[in-house]
Amino acid sequence: MQTTLQALKNQFTVQWEKQQRADLHQVGLPREQTLAALTWLKEHTPFVQLTHMSVVDWIEEDQFQITYLLMNPRSYDLLMVCTRIARSGATMESVHKLWPQAVTYEQEMNEMFGVEFPGSPRQGESFILEGWEDIPPMRRDFDTVQFVLDHIPDRPGRLSINTREFIGRKVGEKRLLHD
Amino acid sequence: MSNKPDLLHGVPEIPAGSVPHANGCDQSCFLGERPDPLSYKEAIQTVKNWFRANSLWVIAYGTGCGSIELRPLGTARFDMERFGIAMRPTPRQSNVLIISGYLSIKSLKRVIRVYEQMPSPKWVVGLGSCTINGGMYWDSYATMKVLDLYLPVDVYIAGCMPRPEALIGGFKELMRMIKNGETKGYIDYIERLDWYRENQKQIIKDWDLPDYSW
Repeated sequence: MQTTLQALKNQFTVQWEKQQRADLHQVGLPREQTLAALTWLKEHTPFVQLTHMSVVDWIEEDQFQITYLLMNPRSYDLLMVCTRIARSGATMESVHKLWPQAVTYEQEMNEMFGVEFPGSPRQGESFILEGWEDIPPMRRDFDTVQFVLDHIPDRPGRLSINTREFIGRKVGEKRLLHD
Repeated sequence: MSNKPDLLHGVPEIPAGSVPHANGCDQSCFLGERPDPLSYKEAIQTVKNWFRANSLWVIAYGTGCGSIELRPLGTARFDMERFGIAMRPTPRQSNVLIISGYLSIKSLKRVIRVYEQMPSPKWVVGLGSCTINGGMYWDSYATMKVLDLYLPVDVYIAGCMPRPEALIGGFKELMRMIKNGETKGYIDYIERLDWYRENQKQIIKDWDLPDYSW
């Protein structure tokens, strides 16, 4: 792990790094170096397997963070490569040439966050949502409760209770006062 | 109470004296005034309902987490086959549709096709809180909240999740309703198809189903 990290720092601009667990390191890379760094990691280091890809919505900074989770299949070490892209008109280079399974992740990220991956197959097709007309639902500016109230019929009479009070009445207040 | 099964439950009794030559012979009814033919129909219907209630064939299609409770129900411990309930692989062979737990809008489209392909008479069991009022998915953008707007539900089984015992209770209730002829959901679905279609199209945005999936 340390050898790979050092070599990565020598070749690319590592903006930040953080050790999350003994077997999990995070590195932040600038957007333009990410694809090159991922290619290099796959070709020249033991981190050959793409385990996961995801998006984090940093709405306050007007950015999306794309996260690639790579694994070393011999030692089970994990390396998390993070990169930030602009939130408006979000576009990222596809990695489906390196790892074919990335197609599905990219399709889902496109549908749920609206991040475009030009060149990736099946972009824009319905994956989980069908006939979705609103903004992508996993973006943080999507108001889920308002959407549900507007679009999905409800059965009247649904009650909302305070669990703590309800359980307190059931088991007696004394037990809850001590915790 | 005798131990005999109550085969002709609900058949109106023929009042004594309406058959003039009643002498204990089965043919006595041919000799004189016959009972109302409607009661024959009703008796046949009752027998049919008794057969139907004791051979519920469930389509093995789980829409949500509730279907995890169908596995112990189907296997040795709770063993639903002792009630005449069996799992079938296709809608053409089954007459009970269990909506097990949350039903996403994407699944709803498939469920409508499955339901319409099932031969009548057919019944729908809503399993879990999610089918009743949304349950813990009440604020999800991807699931429906009230099942009886989209399909005619005969029995709801509340719980999150209901255990297999509760499912057996729901099936017993469904069997009782079938025997008494109280389940009219599949007729209601045909009679008010426009109303159901309107509700279905309200949440299924890319509607591409045929007029009816025969």
